[in-house]
Amino acid sequence: MADITKIGLILMFVALVAAVGLGFVNRITAPIIEIQEEMKKQEAMNSVAGTLTSGDSLAFDSIAVDGLANPYAACGDTLKIVKVTTEPDSVEAGYLFIAYGKGYSSTLQTMVAVDMSGLVHGSTILYQMETPGLGANVTDPDKLLIKFNGRDSQGILLRKDTGDIDAMTGCTITSRAVADAVRDGLEAMDEVGLFTDAEGGEEVSPQPDSQVRDPEDVESAATSVDSTVVVSDETGESEGGAE
Amino acid sequence: MSLKRDFTAGILRENPVFKLALGLCPFLAVTTSVENALGMGAAATFVLVCSNFLVSLFRKVIPSKVRIPCYIIIIATFVTLVDMIMHAFVPALHQSLGLFIPLIVVNCIILGRAEGFANKNPVINSVADGIGMGIGFTLAMVILATFRELLGNGTWLNFNVLGEKFQNQPLLIAILAPGAFILLAFIMGTLNILEARKKGGS
Repeated sequence: MADITKIGLILMFVALVAAVGLGFVNRITAPIIEIQEEMKKQEAMNSVAGTLTSGDSLAFDSIAVDGLANPYAACGDTLKIVKVTTEPDSVEAGYLFIAYGKGYSSTLQTMVAVDMSGLVHGSTILYQMETPGLGANVTDPDKLLIKFNGRDSQGILLRKDTGDIDAMTGCTITSRAVADAVRDGLEAMDEVGLFTDAEGGEEVSPQPDSQVRDPEDVESAATSVDSTVVVSDETGESEGGAE
Repeated sequence: MSLKRDFTAGILRENPVFKLALGLCPFLAVTTSVENALGMGAAATFVLVCSNFLVSLFRKVIPSKVRIPCYIIIIATFVTLVDMIMHAFVPALHQSLGLFIPLIVVNCIILGRAEGFANKNPVINSVADGIGMGIGFTLAMVILATFRELLGNGTWLNFNVLGEKFQNQPLLIAILAPGAFILLAFIMGTLNILEARKKGGS
């Protein structure tokens, strides 16, 4: 009996030392970490917003829009929209918003820069915990995000979902999560009339993957990739099973 | 002499993955690219050395009946500390290694070495064992990751090796979990054959 008390006390002591140590370090590091995260977000905002206009310093204003809930309500976040204006002459440049999409093993957060007419100019992944080597490659803008540029809400749709954006090989779920979240966000913003109904097609910055396609081209492309689509779809479903 | 023995044990003779079959969960999860393998290896080695050091230092104090909970507390505390400190002071490093840190807690190599070596050996030997095991683990991961990244992505350490054509239609299974098991089996089998030959020959 005395033995068990002694062992218990020792174990309690070890746990106590660990807890006190952790608490102490956390008190020091937590505020620093918070500042780091904030800076990271700010940096992302600046770089994404930089795709809207060139050169000028920009001002950011959070705008609240009633009834604009995050389409992925399970994430418990409303759609956060920031209006971007150029600093000295306050010309409205566009909006930034964060799209939340449920991927394979995490809820991806994508920051998107969209101009006043509703065309995407740039985007970046703020947060993801997808499978390393597969879904995590989404942070490389060349793999997926660059294809969103110059499109409006209707254009952002994977080829598998009757659109014409190729998903990342083997990562259908991740690609779809990002594309759907961005599209839903754009649609929601469009519905409350944030975009000027513009014909602004020509003011789009040049982009490698032209979204203007011959209808026949789309048709033939869709049929020719059909068989490979099935294969990558299946591998996409089993993505990251090792975890 | 025996210090050198303890150090080299982990690299091949008692390689944690190929010989002891420890730590397979993080091993299979992060070997999708060589870069990840190196990152995980570095982080795991660091924690392994430190936990071996602490466990060995307190081996006389900790009663044997509650040693496992004590080791777990030591390891978990240590990993969390590393995580918080790295996040606060070297955010760039945390960004590339952050993914692996929570995985280290469940890496049974660390608990395995604490229980199997550090709690019966002096501090210096335990640290040597930690370094050796860490290098062995890293080496094993880099070997498997080389195969997986080459076959599954056509690259090695993000350098394009096999060319554009291969990259468009890679052997995807190598990157996926089943591919990891299959390739690991091939590697272990090859090592066993080599060893059997060596024994038979001498």
